[in-house]
Amino acid sequence: MKFNGKDITELLALNRRNFVKLILGGAVGTGLSPIPWKLADDTAIWTQNWPWVPVPPEGEYVHEKTICKLCPGGCGIEVRKVDHRAVKIEGRTDFPVNPGGMCPLGMGGLQLLYNEQIRFTSPMKRVGARGAGKFVSISWEEAMAILVDRIKGLRQAGQPAALASIDGNPGRSTMSVLIERFMNAVGSPNYMRIPTSEDTYSMANMLMTGNDGPMAYDLENADFILSFGSGLIEGWGSPGRVLNAWKIWKENAAQKKITIVQIESRASNTASKADQWIPVKPGTEAALALGIAHILIREKLYHSEFVDRFAFGFSDWITSDGKDRAGFRRLVLEKYSPEKVAEITGIDAAEIGRLADLFGRARAPIALCGRGKGFLPGSVFECMAIHALNALVGNLNTPGGIFLHDPLPLGLLPQLEPDAVAAAGLKTPRVDQIGGSAHPFSQSLIENFSDAVISAEKSPVDTLLCFSSNPAYTMPDGGAFNKALQKIPFVVSFSPYHDETAYMADLVLPDHHYLEKMDDVVWPIGLQYPLYGITKPVVNPLYDTRNTGDIIIRLAAQMGDTVGKAFPWKNYEEVLQVRAKGLFDHSSGLTEYNGPEAWSRISEGGNFTPDYKSFDEMWKKMISGNLWYRPAHRYGNWGGIFKTPTGKFEFFSMQIDLAVDEASRQQDKETVLMSMGIHAKGDDAFMPHFESLVSEEDHGHYPLKMVPYEMINLSSGPYPNPPYLNKTLFDNQLFGDESFIEINPRTAADYHLGQGDRVVVGSSRGEVQVRVNLFEGAMPGIVYMPLGFGHTAYDDFLRGKGVNPNRIIAGGRDPLSGYSIWWSTPVKLTKI
Amino acid sequence: MENNLAHGHRFGMVIDIDKCTGCGTCMVACAAENNVTVRSDESDKQRSITWMQLYKITNGKAFPHTEVSYFPRPCMHCDEDGHGHHTSPCVTVCVATATRLDFNTGIVSQIYTRCVGCRYCQAACPYHARYFNWWDGYKLIQPFPKGMERSLSPEVSVRTRGVVEKCTFCHHRLMRAKNKAYAEGRREIEESEYITACAEACPVQAITFGDLNNPNHKVSQLIKSPYAFRLLERLNTKPKVYYISKKDWVREMADNYLPGEFKPISTAAVGSR
Repeated sequence: MKFNGKDITELLALNRRNFVKLILGGAVGTGLSPIPWKLADDTAIWTQNWPWVPVPPEGEYVHEKTICKLCPGGCGIEVRKVDHRAVKIEGRTDFPVNPGGMCPLGMGGLQLLYNEQIRFTSPMKRVGARGAGKFVSISWEEAMAILVDRIKGLRQAGQPAALASIDGNPGRSTMSVLIERFMNAVGSPNYMRIPTSEDTYSMANMLMTGNDGPMAYDLENADFILSFGSGLIEGWGSPGRVLNAWKIWKENAAQKKITIVQIESRASNTASKADQWIPVKPGTEAALALGIAHILIREKLYHSEFVDRFAFGFSDWITSDGKDRAGFRRLVLEKYSPEKVAEITGIDAAEIGRLADLFGRARAPIALCGRGKGFLPGSVFECMAIHALNALVGNLNTPGGIFLHDPLPLGLLPQLEPDAVAAAGLKTPRVDQIGGSAHPFSQSLIENFSDAVISAEKSPVDTLLCFSSNPAYTMPDGGAFNKALQKIPFVVSFSPYHDETAYMADLVLPDHHYLEKMDDVVWPIGLQYPLYGITKPVVNPLYDTRNTGDIIIRLAAQMGDTVGKAFPWKNYEEVLQVRAKGLFDHSSGLTEYNGPEAWSRISEGGNFTPDYKSFDEMWKKMISGNLWYRPAHRYGNWGGIFKTPTGKFEFFSMQIDLAVDEASRQQDKETVLMSMGIHAKGDDAFMPHFESLVSEEDHGHYPLKMVPYEMINLSSGPYPNPPYLNKTLFDNQLFGDESFIEINPRTAADYHLGQGDRVVVGSSRGEVQVRVNLFEGAMPGIVYMPLGFGHTAYDDFLRGKGVNPNRIIAGGRDPLSGYSIWWSTPVKLTKI
Repeated sequence: MENNLAHGHRFGMVIDIDKCTGCGTCMVACAAENNVTVRSDESDKQRSITWMQLYKITNGKAFPHTEVSYFPRPCMHCDEDGHGHHTSPCVTVCVATATRLDFNTGIVSQIYTRCVGCRYCQAACPYHARYFNWWDGYKLIQPFPKGMERSLSPEVSVRTRGVVEKCTFCHHRLMRAKNKAYAEGRREIEESEYITACAEACPVQAITFGDLNNPNHKVSQLIKSPYAFRLLERLNTKPKVYYISKKDWVREMADNYLPGEFKPISTAAVGSR
């Protein structure tokens, strides 16, 4: 057969030529058709459609308002929800603390809510070894019965004081009031609190002004910020508010209206971004403050009206029985000359003079204390020295200065009437030796508690309750608390999270996540006007958890007797109402905020028209807006605000004097001062002075100092770090499972260390292995270690990542307050 | 559709480096807003996905003159090169039309379902702003935090392994604002109605977002500052993300200068700004 003169069989034959033609033709044809492009496109789509890829369900968008509870800062937040699911946390613009901004931790709050691996989904009983995190789920009835039996047993045995508690709720919060009340009703004096910089500040404030109110800084109106190590942009105070103040300062700085000076040994973010960085040797801040005081006094740059008329102990004075006592002026002029201070602090004498001049001549200068985030306590004499600077320039109770407030007039709970068992129990000395003569002004000392438990043959504490805290991780005590925890027969945790302390617990009664519960915020830390916040649940509880406030009330009811009678409320909300009623009865405020900024319109004087008429109306408005505040303040009034024994601001603290006198009846004065940890001689001990860090360590053996540092983007407190924050860490801070120390290249060279080298940091308390990051901004001779790594609990996002400097801290105790000195530990480096 | 950027919107961003505190809230806000996945090891920066990324810089001076600062780096949303020949580097190389420069908004989009995962765009991007999904963020790579998918936002699609992703200037927020405007009978949106999650979250308001084509928007005023600059400006990628810093050493970090090539701005020449 022929076709076009060719043999068809030849044309159709599957020979080599035809095969090549077919393939080529096919390829060209397909290429010209849309098929390959369509297929490639479809493949891209098909390969992205897997059943396991979640498709977030659509729904109605609602925005619910509440307050962040991840630190005592009290920033207003708005939670975006799709139906019942919370999908995003954003800052609120209708809340006076933080006009819209917030910190990264608060922004990551949903990852703490929804990550089931780090939450307790029901009450738990321990089945594995302590610290292993092996639990079985039990019912609330069973869990409550176990705890009630235990406490009842202690009371029946006449040992209610063998119950102890550690509370991490902010001071004066309703939760802390309720927990302390429970302890008192049961009959145990052993109620302890997690110490923070607020405790140090309160102590300094109490000793110098006699005032028990909260710390209140008028930051936004200040024009010269002298920060002694406060991490202003690293989470200090209420981060949303302080960062906003920073923005205001920066905008004003462009017009040369405000100066920020950071005093700190390391080139932190705050130090770098401040107008001036003063790299002081860590632990010598008090000396620098006194050096500045020296110039202020010598050059007569101080506020003479305030100092002469409203302050006590500035000049030398004579006691009623005719003894000569030294005054602050003499102490400072004799012992803290710029030259001498330069020697101690490493800061040039001329520089100190220049700082004093700027501080003394500023319109509204303010000196701040509280290292880093302020989560950890500071040195009380240092805080007093810094407070003395504020007094010298007379910025107490003046615009742009430090306000003296009374605590919020929150309603008091009815008088507690302990029964015979409780009354006897309350008379037992506290395990942490508070009430003794050594630390007369501290509220509690977990350090002493740990030592007492460790040194006793049998733990004096049978049952320990831990609330809103994770001391097994956060205590800067070289691991002492952990050791003590091992010896305590029964530990109960109320934590919602799988934290280190909960892992040591025998029983877990999990609290709600903060977005699932109602609670209060008593005066966000550092705010200059009174504010009381009520948080509300924005999502329904996900798991079988309960508000610890409700649980305490139920616990008391099940205990029965006088304990039950001491808690006559149906639920925690009723207690909050009792407290809020006090505000209605004794003060007046606003429950709505819609600008202008509260700090810019603080009205003078006490008269104030509230925006509510009845308590019911106020409560209803507080529930919807989460807020009660009072942008008013009575400035000045220097004749009436100081509640010290002399009625004046005391440069010479009569309270320390009285406490020492009191204790000196049994033993000589020098022994008393030594027991308080005060090494200063004579009258210096009663005034702000510099105590050099005394360490028992052999400086030849431990030639370097380890200084822990905090970052705003790494949670170092009681709450876990949300995984999103891990994205913000650099790979020279954490790489794989190893965290880094920052050291100066010069120090590194002494030890032949290069970038990334592995090294063991050892102190008298132990050793940790880290890697080296060379950083020019690190002071030579100092090893900087970040706080927030080295968890042994939680999940794979946190566990085993880096090391926790708290494990090797050995800095001794702060004079007078007795808190651990965490900001300087003698260490050595060993290259491996 | 008019193919000319001068006529539509040109959304852009100005970041004040001197204000920026390096807190990282922008990074967290971005990840939470855009359903970005997390791995248990985020320190492996070749795998970690960060649409907004902080870069830490130091002035290199010895103690105690050391200073640190930060560059927050979203996608630069590079523009036409001005000669009408090239658009953004990534758009030019994309074989699947998965990334486009939108001439009405100036936003460089990323369409995940079109992406074939060839990673040309990633190689082309001079800013390392693009990220490849080496794994499925949900389920396949264990341990994914159990229950965390409950916080996923339906406004942004969840990506799978094998695709490239990057900052979209929170494009869904533009959609949201437009929908609202249309529902209210408006054709245009206000400056404050469309703002990215990072700009909204910044606690010191270092990030300003707006339309660079609109002379009334704050961004168009800010970029007139003599201290305004862009990253690797001489590549002529025309980024729509601007930075401001009065510090010469910070500005010098923004590009690769030969010794002596960088010209510091003397404060005297600029006047008392």
